[in-house]
Amino acid sequence: MARKAFVVVVIVAALALIAWSGVTNYRAHQALVREQKAHELVLTPDGGVTAAAGPGASAGQAAEPPNPLEGKQAPNFTLEDTAGKKVSLADYKGKAVLVNFWATWCGPCKVEIPWFDKLHDQYAPQGFEILGVSVDDLDLDDKAKLANEKAEVVKFAKGMQINYPVLFNGLSLTSYGELDAFPTSFYVDRSGKIIDVVTGLISRDEVEANIRKALASGKA
Amino acid sequence: MAKLSSLFAIAGLLAGVYACAQDTMPWQSESDKPAPAVRYEYPEQVTVAAGKPAVVEMHFRVREGLHINSHTPLDKSLIRTELILVEPPGVKVAAVDFPQGASYSLKSLPNEKLSVYTGEVVLRAHVTATPGEHLVEASLRYQACDSDSCYPPKKAPVAVDIIAK
Repeated sequence: MARKAFVVVVIVAALALIAWSGVTNYRAHQALVREQKAHELVLTPDGGVTAAAGPGASAGQAAEPPNPLEGKQAPNFTLEDTAGKKVSLADYKGKAVLVNFWATWCGPCKVEIPWFDKLHDQYAPQGFEILGVSVDDLDLDDKAKLANEKAEVVKFAKGMQINYPVLFNGLSLTSYGELDAFPTSFYVDRSGKIIDVVTGLISRDEVEANIRKALASGKA
Repeated sequence: MAKLSSLFAIAGLLAGVYACAQDTMPWQSESDKPAPAVRYEYPEQVTVAAGKPAVVEMHFRVREGLHINSHTPLDKSLIRTELILVEPPGVKVAAVDFPQGASYSLKSLPNEKLSVYTGEVVLRAHVTATPGEHLVEASLRYQACDSDSCYPPKKAPVAVDIIAK
């Protein structure tokens, strides 16, 4: 009886050790794969970034799960624009809208803004609008600082020749989830439904395809 | 013999428990929270000569594939890396030296030169401490980006125990 128990215990211990070593090996392998993936994107001095995974694939990051707002009605919001006017998403009912969250300190945002300018000109006659929502920090309790911070955003927008409404204080929009990477763009169709959410820089062609999709979707 | 069996049983059980406690099983999802872009590595404790100027080298690590602006970014609109430090009683921090940033430009913005830190970043703090043990707490404020996205400014906490003898 005791001998049987001993054998059982040895088997249990052996199985536990096998499981442990298997898990350890698995984790080591996963870490190696992650490290190798991270090396697919290498910063090179002055020559630029070589991204094996291409635009849209951030370093060492797996494909993002879809944003929970995709397929849902875009939450309405009202923010102040650079002219001091209150602008609401609801003002654009019936139009396809690109809600683009950006910041003055965001390099990739600077890449796509000139595309937006041109695409805005091109598709506005078909009922397309862009709202550029700045997520730059605003010190709402200090009037002098607030004025300076807003002036920086205005200066940036003028420098980039943005030809669509630029709104302040995007970080106050909690209904759009935790925005923790920029640029982030919400493509809203004519019925007010979010058809796509894109975080990070994508190609101009992909931006245009999303705009066309938003224009074609949700028609009355 | 029965005692020996019990010992083995306990050993087997402990090995199983250890395996479960130490590792996330392949079928279990790991935490969704991404690792911070920058973390403080070392030292946690340094010993310096009391009352005499000393240099404490603080080592930080920027996550692979990311870069942060240097202490002296080339564009005013960019958020520079800085150390926010409150001197505890008995410690004077005369200055903090930041390394020079490396010159980079993104493929998508080839004409825009950036001054950035990647990989290991070492800050040198010039300190003078009175005899005793002092905990210096600080935070490194930074703003990180990769080639496609930028992330809001964050702070990496730092704590160094300075023993002055």
